[in-house]
Amino acid sequence: MIDKILSGLNRNNISTYLINEEIVESVELFFIKKQLDTRRKKDVHHYSLTVYNDFEKDGRKMRGSSKIGIYNGMTDDEISKAIHEAYYAASFVCNPYYEIPAGKKEEPVVLYNPEEAGTLAGVAGKMTEALFAEDKLNDVFINSAEIFVEKTTSHIINSNGIDVSYQKLAIKGEFVAQCIEPQDVETYMSFSYDKPDTEALKEKVKKTLEMTKARAAAKTAPPTGEYKVILSGRYVKEIFTYYLMRSSAGLIYPKYSNYELGMNVQGENVTGDALNITLKAKVPYSIEGIPMKDRPLLENGVLKTIHGNSRFSYYLGIEPTGTYDCIFIPKGTKTFDEMKTGEYLHVVSFSDFQMDELSGYFSGEIRLAFLCDGKSVTPVTGGSINGNLLECQKDIVLSKEMQVEEGYEGPFAISLPKVSVAGK
Amino acid sequence: MQVESSLYLKNIKPILQELLNSLLQKYKYASILATDSKSRLYNVSKRGTVITEDEIISGRGFVVRVYDGTSYCEYSFNEIDKERVPEILDKIENELITLKNVLPDGITESKFDIINDEPCEFNKSSEYETNPWQFGSSKIVDFLTKLSESGRAFDEKILDCSASITCQQYHKLFLSGNKDMEQNILWTTGLIMMMASRGEEVKYYYKSYSNLGGTELLKEMENDISSVAKTTLELLESKPIKPGEYDCICAPDVSGVIAHEAFGHGVEMDMFVKKRALAEKYIDEYVASPLVTMHDGAAAAKETGSYMFDDEGVPAQDTVIIDKGILKRGISDVQTALRLGTTPTGNGRRQSYERKAYTRMTNTYFEAGKDKVEDMISSIEYGFLLENCTSGMEDPKNWGIQLMVNIAREIKNGRLTGKVYSPVVLTGYVPDLLKSISMVSDKVKLSGSGFCGKGYKEWVKVSDGGPYIKARIRLG
Repeated sequence: MIDKILSGLNRNNISTYLINEEIVESVELFFIKKQLDTRRKKDVHHYSLTVYNDFEKDGRKMRGSSKIGIYNGMTDDEISKAIHEAYYAASFVCNPYYEIPAGKKEEPVVLYNPEEAGTLAGVAGKMTEALFAEDKLNDVFINSAEIFVEKTTSHIINSNGIDVSYQKLAIKGEFVAQCIEPQDVETYMSFSYDKPDTEALKEKVKKTLEMTKARAAAKTAPPTGEYKVILSGRYVKEIFTYYLMRSSAGLIYPKYSNYELGMNVQGENVTGDALNITLKAKVPYSIEGIPMKDRPLLENGVLKTIHGNSRFSYYLGIEPTGTYDCIFIPKGTKTFDEMKTGEYLHVVSFSDFQMDELSGYFSGEIRLAFLCDGKSVTPVTGGSINGNLLECQKDIVLSKEMQVEEGYEGPFAISLPKVSVAGK
Repeated sequence: MQVESSLYLKNIKPILQELLNSLLQKYKYASILATDSKSRLYNVSKRGTVITEDEIISGRGFVVRVYDGTSYCEYSFNEIDKERVPEILDKIENELITLKNVLPDGITESKFDIINDEPCEFNKSSEYETNPWQFGSSKIVDFLTKLSESGRAFDEKILDCSASITCQQYHKLFLSGNKDMEQNILWTTGLIMMMASRGEEVKYYYKSYSNLGGTELLKEMENDISSVAKTTLELLESKPIKPGEYDCICAPDVSGVIAHEAFGHGVEMDMFVKKRALAEKYIDEYVASPLVTMHDGAAAAKETGSYMFDDEGVPAQDTVIIDKGILKRGISDVQTALRLGTTPTGNGRRQSYERKAYTRMTNTYFEAGKDKVEDMISSIEYGFLLENCTSGMEDPKNWGIQLMVNIAREIKNGRLTGKVYSPVVLTGYVPDLLKSISMVSDKVKLSGSGFCGKGYKEWVKVSDGGPYIKARIRLG
């Protein structure tokens, strides 16, 4: 197919292009309690093509682009026609000129070796065993679960010599824990690993079952008011997506974000933990074929890297890094127990937690929280929190305990002062 | 005009038929869903112009479902020709069917009856006035550029105006022992989103558009720049709301998300199977005010959630979920109906041929009432008019609901004061909220600009909506 696409590009005299090829093989298992409900297998092969059209408008050099899918079953003529239409469409895309990345043919990078990790079906079996290993209680159990074991081979070719590929494994899924007494409640939990980490999944199931049992004892919403709110688990990562997004060239170029290199994004007179964030390269190349490596994002609250694709990076006059979606944050200054002193509201489960990178607002309905009045701790459910990171980022405190979530390795908990809670 | 059939599906159909015949020789039930879908997203903003396909809703591919005498399994693939048929059959037999052998001790296989393969044959298409692919990129980009530029020029405080449209034209062919169904659908959605900054904080407001059709939609977008800009600027003066319970009027977009989250997800019957939905225990009981009647169905409206058959070959229906406040029935896919001994309702949907079918919503909405919006506002001593919903989340197990709403307009002594609060979290117990509905306006508006997820994945196109409703709601 690659040859057919290159031939179609030649037929249309197109010299600037990007081809993304992706081969995905997966095994998928769906469970209701301890029964296999459905099993699935997938073998798909995808191709997408971006064509670039250089032209001048009002004396200014432009580079338009248009991206299309090339599907199996397309004839040579169909491919050529689709490329022709995409190139024509790109002539209406009046984006200022930029350079696409250059490179050469590199050896494939293998992040997944089936000889070490096992076949996809074998990995699915191992992860199933881990999923149900802690499901041995009567009052709290796994209601349902899904496991996806996926091998992806990505191949990136462009007209500037880039010809790179890598193969990776992803084990993803979700499960719902249920506790029936004293009241029937459930907790949704997702998981994602790049290797068959059975111990991590067992631990996650164990903690989720414990959390669900605690939720079954929670009956009322917390009183309305302002609280020191502690978030833990995957919600900590959600808070930090604010910094990841605000530091992207795609948001800085149109001035949606005011971040600049060297800027102290947390502001002056930080009384909590100064932020140190590292951008982690989860894959060896960006979607454009830019080599990706770990980079410092924030050092003591100061912005060290703006990350982004070739277009926005060119406009900003910075090195194109590729766009990152994974971060590392070192441990904080207080233990989780030290954070839980005095009065606080520790939210461990939301219906849906939202972190708005444009406004700084974060909010969510509470499914389970622990309310401490300074003396005793009570499980609560219902009501919502509504705060703004811009107002509390100087005072945030991070835990010494760490965790690993999809796209995040860092503190297990974060403390946010004076957050508004709508409760009973 | 009617959407034309896919030439690709027509050409590939004999090979699919050959594959199906081979499968039916070995398995008691087999079906194939074939998809040929193309999409295009156009966007113009200060960031530049984008023309791209939406990869989630584009592509050609197939999903085979077989019954091995005990349970069902599926194989998704996108490469087929006559020579590959034996290879596909081999993979199904030796790599898919055998997957149950990897189960550890203590994990067993579910047992199902065979699907009732009711005979059905048709080829139907949706209609449009202007096909986006024929209308052309030049005119679309030109239109969106003018919208975006006029939005940005409206006021110096406007940071950006993003104007976009997305269209999908898809063709689906469903083959089984007794079924030969084909459908051809085109939908188009539009979005105008403006941003204005208040220091580091960026406020935004959007207006969305949708139809079961083509770029005739652009006419609706032409005259809205001024109103979107004014509302965006209003948000710069907004404040956080004082948490509490208030009399509220929900605009149709908010009503729609309430319907969707409250008793849309709440009656997806695959949740009944898992005992994850409280609604199962409340069939034929009052769960809402007698003013509330609620529908879901691909045949219940002509919007982006419409189709002629679902991804399991079940014809589209119009299901009345709540009738005058009484919960009547849920919606289901085929496998769920097999487990529950019910009839599938045409709600078995897949994100694409690459994904499993789940029970999913289509067009979900509250019916109209008899009240006028002005009378509804006049009836409130102190409360809020809620507009511009940005997200929602369901909790079918405990009937909690969460909506993020961008605008709460203050109402005092029956009048809008002009004060705006934002953002607002709407939460509550679903039956309390629905039973508190005391007024319902006389016009329904549906919006199909968004996608619906099952949890945090499996995105499918839906529409939802309703009239203005008056209810007692907790805001924070």
